[in-house]
Amino acid sequence: MARRVLITGLGILSPLGADEDEVWRRLVDGETGIAPLTSFDTEAFPSPYKVKMAAQVDDELVADGLQAMGRRSMDRALDLAMVAGDRALRQAGLIGDAPYEPRDVPTIIGTGTGSAQSIYEAFQRFTAKGPKGLLPSTVPRVMYNAISANLSMHFKLTGANYVVISACTSSANAIGDAFKRVRNGEAEIAVTGGTEGCLDPFFYGVWNNIGVLSSNPDPSLVCRPFDAEREGTALGEGAAIFVLESEESASRRGATVRGEILGYGESSDASHITGPSAEGQAVAIRRALDSAAVEPSALGYVNAHGTATRANDTTESTAIRLALGAAADTIPVGSNKSYIGHTLGASGALEAAVTVLALERNEVPPNFNLRNPDPDCRVRLVGSEAEPLERPLAIKNSFGFGGGNGVLVLGAYPGGA
Amino acid sequence: MERTEILPRLRGVLEESSTQPIDWSRLSEETTVESLGFDSLSILDVLYGIEQEFDVELDAGDVMDLKTVGELVTLLAERAAAA
Repeated sequence: MARRVLITGLGILSPLGADEDEVWRRLVDGETGIAPLTSFDTEAFPSPYKVKMAAQVDDELVADGLQAMGRRSMDRALDLAMVAGDRALRQAGLIGDAPYEPRDVPTIIGTGTGSAQSIYEAFQRFTAKGPKGLLPSTVPRVMYNAISANLSMHFKLTGANYVVISACTSSANAIGDAFKRVRNGEAEIAVTGGTEGCLDPFFYGVWNNIGVLSSNPDPSLVCRPFDAEREGTALGEGAAIFVLESEESASRRGATVRGEILGYGESSDASHITGPSAEGQAVAIRRALDSAAVEPSALGYVNAHGTATRANDTTESTAIRLALGAAADTIPVGSNKSYIGHTLGASGALEAAVTVLALERNEVPPNFNLRNPDPDCRVRLVGSEAEPLERPLAIKNSFGFGGGNGVLVLGAYPGGA
Repeated sequence: MERTEILPRLRGVLEESSTQPIDWSRLSEETTVESLGFDSLSILDVLYGIEQEFDVELDAGDVMDLKTVGELVTLLAERAAAA
């Protein structure tokens, strides 16, 4: 029989902060983390950036976190994952004071642009000096699995370590993979989640020119999921790391339980490299519900992919309706991207983290800037105020370029935190 | 190559390879290698940077036991003299 998979540790490093109560307060109060970009000087290049907004993580939070861990900054995505990982493992009671004991725990992390900052810096050196400019440390810095490898080394996690790269579905896939390992009994504990540090001049520029970023200058109006007047998404950075644990192991350790992952479903559209498909997405949602053995009517919250792009929001609404049927009339649907932007490969993990907070607090966070719901988004959208959570079960949708879809089913754990 | 010529060039290499908040203008022959805070990864970049700057070949064993920047300067002066 499949084992129950509990969440016993959660570390968030988001544009809304790292403190869970503060993150929640900002969600409920409608305070966005989107602001003018400061990670680099957008004026320092031969041609201008069209968009200059992003959802950034406070640099001081990262620096303080690294210092407390006795680590130096290496790469943005890695730094974010390390600090979030430290918070998660500490909360789970798996680490205390160093040195840490080795544990047979896999580390499976999702990321979209991976070691983007290190790659950008290496290219700069290469352009300036040619091959001689490439430092010996370039390989261990730019390889994407530097993220999972450094987590594994720092925390002495001796199970498998690798990263999952599938654009904006990356961390949903990573968490799904870790979930299956624990559920099937291959692992008692797994460290998983996602990280994204995409706000360097190159990757930010790449996204500038694909036509999906909003150029609205008002931070609170940049990213408006499901609104008829939405203009696109905003890029964001951040990390969320989860400790997943079998119910047996959590109970044996007397661990504090934050929530439960009940199911996971995935699919591929197999149609277009960037265009989404409602049918493909609906398959992933249905598979997730089947995996959790729950009916659509049991859901109390749909945490949508909700990117605020033209294509996503209507397609996702159709997919939700296809998958949930009549239940789609009543289940509140919300997106967190108006607050944290699109954190690409970390979005599944960060928004699953928000879902855990919602399940713990019995409240659904608002779509704070939703004024004129798009009539083509025929789902029951949460308004600009938080609302009570009617049933302690939620899905977290993640869809990515490449046509990959991943959906997690999360629930409150009775007697949990 | 004079010792006085080596130190400023070495300072440039160390500064470029380091992510530490160090006041490099205070680097002297008495500065300990340990105080420079290089780790197993960044030391690779330091060795590589020194090789490029001084056109020498070094391996980790050559510099593993060096305690001060002055000892490193001596090593580089010896290599330059032998070349």
